[in-house]
Amino acid sequence: MMELIAQNMAPIMFVSLIFFLLAGYPAAFSLAANGLLFFVIGVELAPYSNNTINLSWPLLNAMPERFWGVLSNETLLAIPFFTFMGIVLERSGMAEDLLDTIGQLFGPVRGGLAYAVIIVGALLAATTGVVAASVIAMGLISLPIMLRYGYDRSLASGVIAASGTLAQIIPPSLVLIVLADQLGRSVGDMYRGAMLPGLVLTGLYFAYVMLVSIFRPNSMPALPKEARTLGSGVTSLIVALVLAVAMFWFGRDWLDAEHGKNSGILAAALAVIAIYVMAILDKSLKINLMSRLAQQVVIVLIPPLALIFLVLGTIFLGIATPTEGGAMGAVGALVMAAAKRRLSFEVIRSALASTTRLASFVMFILLGARVFSLTFYGVNGHLWVEHLLTSLPGGELGFLIVISLMVFLLAFFLDFFELAFIIVPLLAPAAEKLGIDLIWFGIILGVNMQTSFMHPPFGFALFYLRSVAARVPYIDKVTGLTMAPVKTSQIYWGAVPFVLIQILMIAIVIGFPGLVMHYKGPQIDPSTVDFTIPNMPGLDSGFGGLGGGLGAGGMNFGPPPSN
Amino acid sequence: MGGLLAFSRGVDRMNEFIGKAVSWLILVAVLVSATNAVIRKVFSVSSNAWLEMQWYLYGAAFLLAAAYTLKQNEHVRIDIVYGMFSRRVQHWIDLLGHTLFLMPFVLAMLWMLTPYVLKSMLNGEVSTNAGGLLIWPAKSLLLIGFLLLALQGVSEIIKKIAVMRGVIPDPTPFISAHEAAELEGKALIEELAQAEEKHK
Repeated sequence: MMELIAQNMAPIMFVSLIFFLLAGYPAAFSLAANGLLFFVIGVELAPYSNNTINLSWPLLNAMPERFWGVLSNETLLAIPFFTFMGIVLERSGMAEDLLDTIGQLFGPVRGGLAYAVIIVGALLAATTGVVAASVIAMGLISLPIMLRYGYDRSLASGVIAASGTLAQIIPPSLVLIVLADQLGRSVGDMYRGAMLPGLVLTGLYFAYVMLVSIFRPNSMPALPKEARTLGSGVTSLIVALVLAVAMFWFGRDWLDAEHGKNSGILAAALAVIAIYVMAILDKSLKINLMSRLAQQVVIVLIPPLALIFLVLGTIFLGIATPTEGGAMGAVGALVMAAAKRRLSFEVIRSALASTTRLASFVMFILLGARVFSLTFYGVNGHLWVEHLLTSLPGGELGFLIVISLMVFLLAFFLDFFELAFIIVPLLAPAAEKLGIDLIWFGIILGVNMQTSFMHPPFGFALFYLRSVAARVPYIDKVTGLTMAPVKTSQIYWGAVPFVLIQILMIAIVIGFPGLVMHYKGPQIDPSTVDFTIPNMPGLDSGFGGLGGGLGAGGMNFGPPPSN
Repeated sequence: MGGLLAFSRGVDRMNEFIGKAVSWLILVAVLVSATNAVIRKVFSVSSNAWLEMQWYLYGAAFLLAAAYTLKQNEHVRIDIVYGMFSRRVQHWIDLLGHTLFLMPFVLAMLWMLTPYVLKSMLNGEVSTNAGGLLIWPAKSLLLIGFLLLALQGVSEIIKKIAVMRGVIPDPTPFISAHEAAELEGKALIEELAQAEEKHK
């Protein structure tokens, strides 16, 4: 009997962990307690175990050193930095301005508000990385407007919830930092790998809205003329854009002599700054060479783009580490909030309090997981899991599908931090053994976790949206008509098509590893990436990215080269 | 019970003060990191002390705030099953969790960390990186963090028993993670509305 227990310690420990966690006591301490309990049992049973248990009392002394390793981990510093940045931006009113302006820009098009939500979702994702912030801002501002002009309720709420979750997969998302840390890869590579899939996904959302606008035009009407408060004037916006591109073109040649390969980026920065200054002068001196719409678009859009460049651009160019990028982004967010006069002592204090709370519980889950893993490895649990997973039928593809399903289901009731710290370290060795590139693997996990954020009835994005969508009939501020509330079932049904898109996306990432694997090759130029988001009239950028992936990876299911 | 509750109030107050105070260290870490990045690029000067200072500050923030986070009942739980129990059963789970999960872990860590930190202190351990900082103060943060957590654990046990006996009202009624998400949204709406008001 003793032998039987001793030789099956790993499965016993794992099953009891499930019970420990499900009991509902804070996960950090349940993990640690499970680890310690089985450490004691393991040491006692070691003599019966036929050498499958490698635990002894002195091993416990490794614990402080393991904790020290968590404390002195520079990668994890990016978590509080990006969290703080996100919370400050959330209070800065940036999302509101973007939604207003881009909504006006796309308003005249059928489904324009939905496109605007997707674009703003992607822009916010590239700056904040906080799902709650994006969903709440969009639910607060865009949802009432969409309902006012007769958008289908399910469609409106689905677009908002889904676009909000883009924050999970588009860098600088926290999920990607944590995954990179747990998979033992660099955050920069993880960000590079996630960029194209994030854009392709954005493109797929666009494509869906476009299809609906063609087949069910009544579900997303264009804004009527009286709702376009900024007036029209796309022509001068196009002129401004052409001017910027021209400045970039000549500036690059001009700067090339002195600055060599950096001339492209410098020229782009100068051109953008020039247009920004022009728009501000045009507006403040009342020259009004540009239309009001063009002024507003330029003035509202450029600061976030600059912030995105400050963070992602510097990381991709290798100028800054992700941690430094996060810190600079946080400072940038403070500056932006101050410029909008939204920065107060109270805003900073509460942002710091939320950041510290998150940091504390995340880091303690990690500490608890370190206690658990010391014992679990001691009872050869990693070998047991690896054996289980590598013996799945279907080889690499079978493994990825099973893991995707598992993570997808687990993510319903596990926080992604819990998933990343408990489950991912167990999966990584098996994935590596099968020759799966861990960045690619991480992105697949990331899209899965993102999906669970919008999956009814547990998805958190849906709850954030629920909190801002009207529960009772209300009087519309503009039309004065009584509007029906948004039913929870409408929110749920609205999410369904997007969940299907997510599943398609997981299949795409699995089928076209090249989408991710380019992170190893020549670096992508972030300036082109930035510009595809605001300008894209729909599919081209998304499918352009996909085409790039096709070329690089090909349609093979064979293992991409792992490093 | 009165004396115990007084002790518990004292611990709560101390940890609340510490937990709130250390959050400012994150702002300092942000500023140090951003400044360091700029200086490193512009003047090509890099210092390990500044790099180490960042995770020192972060470590101090999350370790010393852990006790306050426990007091606020903010350490995440998996509440899919927990949420279905009656409040009475939840109290029992919390009480057993405090005594059988939290306290043994925290006490075991204190027992292991004390010699570890003392040794580092007596040796005056310094970072092996060139120009690095003293190590032992950072290692002491681990010890202090767990010490505060142990005290808070005792305070939570006292409060839990008092709540179960009906002596004091429930300081942290159960809110599921999903309800919390909705509340977070509502709070944010109010905050934005206030900011909007001030703005005008």
